[in-house]
Amino acid sequence: MLFFSYFKELVGKEVTVELKNDLAIKGILHSVDQYLNIKLENTRVVDQDKYPHMLSVRNCFIRGSVVRYVQLPPDGVDIDILHDATRREARGG
Amino acid sequence: MVASGFRRFAERVGDGVGQPRVDEDGEELMHVQPGVGIALGNRPQEFPGTLYITSKRVIWLSDTDHTRGYAVDFLAISLHAVSRDPDAYAFPCIYAQIETDAGEDERSEDSDSECIEELDPSKVTEMRLVPSEPSHLDALFDIFCEGAELNPDPTEAREENEWVFGDEQIAVDGDDSEWHLSEDLANPIGHANGHEDLAHSVLELQINDQRFEDAEEAEQQARRHTE
Repeated sequence: MLFFSYFKELVGKEVTVELKNDLAIKGILHSVDQYLNIKLENTRVVDQDKYPHMLSVRNCFIRGSVVRYVQLPPDGVDIDILHDATRREARGG
Repeated sequence: MVASGFRRFAERVGDGVGQPRVDEDGEELMHVQPGVGIALGNRPQEFPGTLYITSKRVIWLSDTDHTRGYAVDFLAISLHAVSRDPDAYAFPCIYAQIETDAGEDERSEDSDSECIEELDPSKVTEMRLVPSEPSHLDALFDIFCEGAELNPDPTEAREENEWVFGDEQIAVDGDDSEWHLSEDLANPIGHANGHEDLAHSVLELQINDQRFEDAEEAEQQARRHTE
């Protein structure tokens, strides 16, 4: 729930979603749901040489379970909030 | 997850020429889209066919060859997108990536062997669905989203159980510093910044924590004993 709540705050910002198959997609976060499924808009593939067929994709739905990392925009990170929230989460909420 | 990947499918009702036969256990047909071609990996497009989207999976059946068809569970679809750029693919389509049980190594082998005639459905990692009418793409994209949301990964529940065990261990350990932190409710994180959702979920998590219920009960009992 922590990540869901946090990602919701990032809607409208640019993030880079790295998949477990190494594909990394940059785009504007359109929405996220409780399973951390992610919808991106205005997407572009970070490594276009490796994934030329993804060039044309403008909007994209990514299954939460295949996401390895989400790179956050620096202005979307409030370190104090995250620090406190992750500490709580680490204790099992 | 392995069993739910891409596979051949030709189970139709109505003497084997009708709609796909869906599972008894609650699978529902959500959408039928006639006039859809399918292209697997770098293989040529198969056309014409009909796309059936159920509450569990995506099924494509050939209109001409009733023994030919494919199915893939939403659980195995990693990603889907609308592709409209002719440089990437000649026709506007729904592009989907499919999770296979093959590791990274096998996946790269797969791309080397894509010229081979015989299709191994379990190695299909990419699928393009090409509606004859491109204006249907956005609606199809939304239906795919809906299907994906209906099929969350079953691992979610397992993780929650692990958390519960973690809690109990901490409670048994009874580390003072842990308790001090978790009882610091005076300034919940969300409230500090006006993020009500976050505050709500944090509070909810703590209220639903059985550890606290047990502790209260134990305290009450202890009090009763002393009275």
